[in-house]
Amino acid sequence: MPEYTVLTVCSVVLVVAAELWWLRTGLFTSARYWCSMAIVFFFQGLVDGWLTKLDAPVVLYGRSEHLGLRAPWDIPIEDFGFGFSMVTLTILLWERAGRREQATRGTPRPIAADDTPADHAVEGAPR
Amino acid sequence: MTAAAPSAALAALPMLGLPPEWDRFQYLLLMAGCLLITLPLQLVLRARVYSRPRRLFAALVPVVALYSVWDVVGIVRDHWWYSERFTTGWLVPATPMPLEELVFFVVVPVCGLLTYGAVGTCLGWLRTWRQRRASSSGTSAPGTSSGVRDA
Repeated sequence: MPEYTVLTVCSVVLVVAAELWWLRTGLFTSARYWCSMAIVFFFQGLVDGWLTKLDAPVVLYGRSEHLGLRAPWDIPIEDFGFGFSMVTLTILLWERAGRREQATRGTPRPIAADDTPADHAVEGAPR
Repeated sequence: MTAAAPSAALAALPMLGLPPEWDRFQYLLLMAGCLLITLPLQLVLRARVYSRPRRLFAALVPVVALYSVWDVVGIVRDHWWYSERFTTGWLVPATPMPLEELVFFVVVPVCGLLTYGAVGTCLGWLRTWRQRRASSSGTSAPGTSSGVRDA
């Protein structure tokens, strides 16, 4: 299997594993996260589409190092795994840093719309 | 934008209107455009990302470090390389990585966080609106705006 493909799959698996077995923020059960990722993927299509367009590429890819499947436009599909793991890891670390700030502040605050992803989980789901 | 005319659709973006001597800044300008277009998420939709610099820093440092290492591996292993025409040629010191890539690893995660923040705000508003509606039509509902902070 091409190296970029392998590394992309590894990055996705590692980030998902980091959430499930280490960070445990509840991000993957939150509607807020999945809505955000849908928006991120849409704009990734535009920006990455610009960077990878084959008639005037900014970034060029070694033909043998990825699967060769390009969509939409000329985006190597591996890029979406790259983007998923990078943005997901960022949000996970953002949540963790937020929790640490709250812990050091010592005062339990009411659940806020932008602080607790699980709060936006499917209606009525217990935390 | 149809799949039939991909490049034509992308070429409609204003960047092509720039004179050729600006070509080498194209990647950087694209990144600047990303920051510009997401600014309202902070200013209007209260994403509260730039206003929490310590938390932002804590989230960004590991991501920038990890993905820069990946980028260098990709360059060394010929997974990818960069157009000399559309990049400045400035490299991150002691690495083969273009400065643009470093900027990318800051800008894109920031845009992701701004999106996440703005969606949180919107869902909070939606919840408040639902509660208000439920309380105006129902029998009793105290504390209708408990879901939104500093609104």
